[in-house]
Amino acid sequence: MTPLIKFIDFNFSYLDSPTPILKNINLEIKEGEFVLLVGPSGCGKSTLLRCINGLIPHLYSGVYKGKVIVDGEQVSEKNISTLATKVGFVFQNPENQIFMFTVEKDIVFGLENIGVDKEEIGRRLEWALKILNIEHLRYRAPYELSDGQKQRVAIAGTLVMHPKILILDEPTSLLDPKTAYEFISTLKELNRSIGITIIVVEHRIDLLPKVADRMIVMDGGQIVFDGPFKDIIKEKNLHLYGVTVPPIISLQNTLSESGVNLPGYSLDVRSFSEMIKKEVFRND
Amino acid sequence: MFWIAEGLIYRRQDSVFHTIDPRIKLLISMMLFFLSLVSSTIVEFSIILVLIFFIGALSKTLKRMVRTFVFSLSFLAMIFVINILVGYDIMFSIIISLRFISVVSSTSIFFLTSSPDELELVMKSFYLPYDLIFAFVTAVRFVPVIMLDAIQILDSQRSRGLEIEKGNFIKRIKNYIPVLIPLIVQAIIRSEELAEAMESRAYGFSKKKTSYYSLHLRKRDYFAATVAICFMIVFIYAIYFLHI
Ligand SMILES: Nc1ncnc2c1ncn2[C@@H]1O[C@H](COP(=O)(O)OP(=O)(O)OP(=O)(O)O)[C@@H](O)[C@H]1O
Ligand SMILES: [Mg+2]
Repeated sequence: MTPLIKFIDFNFSYLDSPTPILKNINLEIKEGEFVLLVGPSGCGKSTLLRCINGLIPHLYSGVYKGKVIVDGEQVSEKNISTLATKVGFVFQNPENQIFMFTVEKDIVFGLENIGVDKEEIGRRLEWALKILNIEHLRYRAPYELSDGQKQRVAIAGTLVMHPKILILDEPTSLLDPKTAYEFISTLKELNRSIGITIIVVEHRIDLLPKVADRMIVMDGGQIVFDGPFKDIIKEKNLHLYGVTVPPIISLQNTLSESGVNLPGYSLDVRSFSEMIKKEVFRND
Repeated sequence: MFWIAEGLIYRRQDSVFHTIDPRIKLLISMMLFFLSLVSSTIVEFSIILVLIFFIGALSKTLKRMVRTFVFSLSFLAMIFVINILVGYDIMFSIIISLRFISVVSSTSIFFLTSSPDELELVMKSFYLPYDLIFAFVTAVRFVPVIMLDAIQILDSQRSRGLEIEKGNFIKRIKNYIPVLIPLIVQAIIRSEELAEAMESRAYGFSKKKTSYYSLHLRKRDYFAATVAICFMIVFIYAIYFLHI
């Protein structure tokens, strides 16, 4: 299967940045993957994401070397509006991505722009309201919404475009832990039900163990780790890259370093305690 | 100060008048505005004002309309006094004052009963360029957001010891600089993020843009328009031919 997103020997620096921001990126992402992207602040995560939906090089210009291919086409040769039907982008601050006076009007904004006919807009609107569980917010004004609700509206506004890829740049940073957890679960639901490819930058890794398939760690504009989530999360030096490893995983790492042989590897407290229970009863 | 603005700000409300097509509401408002300009006797103004208050009652916005009214009274007093001082007779001053009141309150009819949403549709139905409409929509949409920003910045600068209310007039204006600068910076950051988000949602896509919402005149709209136009004709006829 050809990858949905492909970076080939890619380098980029903004016009006013003296050093390259992205260095020698080679990356392939397949359709349907749920990718977690992490790394210290300023390492170039947002820059990498902007290259996928065409904000780079179309809105932000700079020195652009190599190729970025999305769904078989070179990003640099398509305009952002065309890419908007392939890549949905949800930003950190939900406030600044809702433009219209009501939720409903905001959701149809993109569809009106690309000239979808009225009936189809109606259908997609209902679908998006339903899938994100925001039917009751339909006629509300943006200032009558909580941050979590705004973030859902923002996703709905991109999902109606039927993109193949959904990119989220620190979507939960303004949400409380419970709302953030629900939000991430919704993402997983979408990933499962409509098979949309998801790339998310998220600092709270404890939200993601059962959600992300793959984890990419960046530092200084380069990819330093890339692989299945459960393998990368075991890496010893993750904390050097600003990644807060969930305690249950650090615990297992420390145990195995000090010579304790665990029969397996658990990503959450429940399965870890199951594992320990079995082990303890066996030793009895 | 905010309570004055109440007289011009839309609040969601259920009334027969609110459900009228915004273009007709605009027509009614403009018509009353126009009649206020051509009227010149106390009787004429009384009719117009009664009508305006009737619409105020019908649309359940009378209370807020009265606020604009009270607000204009202070202006009125000024106009009145100046007129007398300059040497116009009392009658003339009264007429000018009545005209001022009816002009202000006829304008407020439209703004009190039409949401920004409806205003947007009216602009669309006049085929204004979409860029202009969008600029209007986002400007209005971000008013509460930027106001909240301002309050937050003000609070945080106060907590660092800024005393806004202190000093003479010039000093007080200067006091606002530490609030204004972060506010402007924040607005610029917002506008950049807004640009990114707009682009990411196909703003300015070359093909023809569709519109999910449009205005349709219904029976009650035709009815309201007919009543309004008949009234205007009768009124003008009465002024110019019957000399009431
Ligand atoms: N529009 C821009 N123009 C110039 N330089 C920029 C621009 N945006 C980001 N940079 C620079 O590019 C580098 C990478 O920024 P980027 O926003 O991609 O980092 P990030 O990994 O997303 O960080 P964070 O976690 O803080 O969001 C930073 O050094 C930043 O200063
Ligand atoms: Mg970032």
